[in-house]
Amino acid sequence: MSEKVLLVDDEKEFLEIMSERMRARGMIVTATESADQALSIIEKESFDAIIMDFQMPEMDGMEALKAIKKKRPELQIILLTGYATVEKTVEAMKIGATDFLEKPADLEALVEKIKTAKAEKMLLVEKQTEEKIKDILQRHR
Amino acid sequence: MNTNHKTRDTAGAPILAAAGMQFFGRMSAAATHEIKNTLAIINENAGLLEDLTLMAEKGQPLSTERVKDISKRLAKQVHRADLILKKLNRLSHSVDLTRERVDLEKAVIFVLDLAGRLLEMQQVTVEITPPPSPVVVDTNLFYLQTGIWMAIDMACCCADQEKQVNISFGTDSTIPSVWFSMGRADKDQKGDNMKALFESVEDQALLAYLGIVIEKNNKNNGFGLLWTKCG
Repeated sequence: MSEKVLLVDDEKEFLEIMSERMRARGMIVTATESADQALSIIEKESFDAIIMDFQMPEMDGMEALKAIKKKRPELQIILLTGYATVEKTVEAMKIGATDFLEKPADLEALVEKIKTAKAEKMLLVEKQTEEKIKDILQRHR
Repeated sequence: MNTNHKTRDTAGAPILAAAGMQFFGRMSAAATHEIKNTLAIINENAGLLEDLTLMAEKGQPLSTERVKDISKRLAKQVHRADLILKKLNRLSHSVDLTRERVDLEKAVIFVLDLAGRLLEMQQVTVEITPPPSPVVVDTNLFYLQTGIWMAIDMACCCADQEKQVNISFGTDSTIPSVWFSMGRADKDQKGDNMKALFESVEDQALLAYLGIVIEKNNKNNGFGLLWTKCG
């Protein structure tokens, strides 16, 4: 089954080309130029991974990351940045980012990370489902 | 020679230098971040060309229109990066002379252009009303730019919900001035920010060096930079 990805970046041209190249690799891609719009989109749709630029107008990267994780903790988020410091990376990982890549990124490497992220997400969802079933069974005993 | 100016130079030199470095660092960081974005787009376009070539090798027809379009996109990003580097280069050369005659409007326009990405990130719109005639000061260009950025940054912090900053120039030729207004006076947080205008050690050192006095204008939630000592 194809990976379903949400791309978030305020550079429209980057979004267009990245989307096209990912679709050519069989992915289902939704693209948006703002973190605010991304938050609305994830309320209605599920994704295997979100690829998000770390520095955009409207919302700081860390804020956006926290907001997404709060709404959908199972979502795997890969951050793209022009300048990745150790501090930034560690802080983002603590908040729940799956990975951190520096621009310009190698697309094949990114695709591999998306596939890994999808597998991680499926494990998380499976675990959550198991816990829900356990909970239901216990309540009905 | 103005000995007062020389004394100002020596006494506050390290703090002044720190203010200048902060400004230079912030502008360089913004510019290099934008260049990274440009490189990312160039990288993706190059990758797309490679993708199309691989598909052509597998028998899929290669659209010359597509290749032309990608080529234009690449040229556009190269031009964009070039403009950013030109601005950075101009900033770097602003330290060449210790003192020179500077057109305030041109200096303001340059700093706004340099800080374009930062203003975009804050979603602030800036409008300039040009002066009826050139407003010129005799000063150190680099530190003038530092001071202008300091004022723009302060104006953005104090801007009301509409996030609009208006810049204009005084008409008194004996006291050159630049005025920043940020909309209607606000009683809450923005008003508090106006109270703390340029109170840091670095800001004070910079203002003293440039011979600038700050005047508040509470009617339009604004302030002005006034050059009371030219030279």
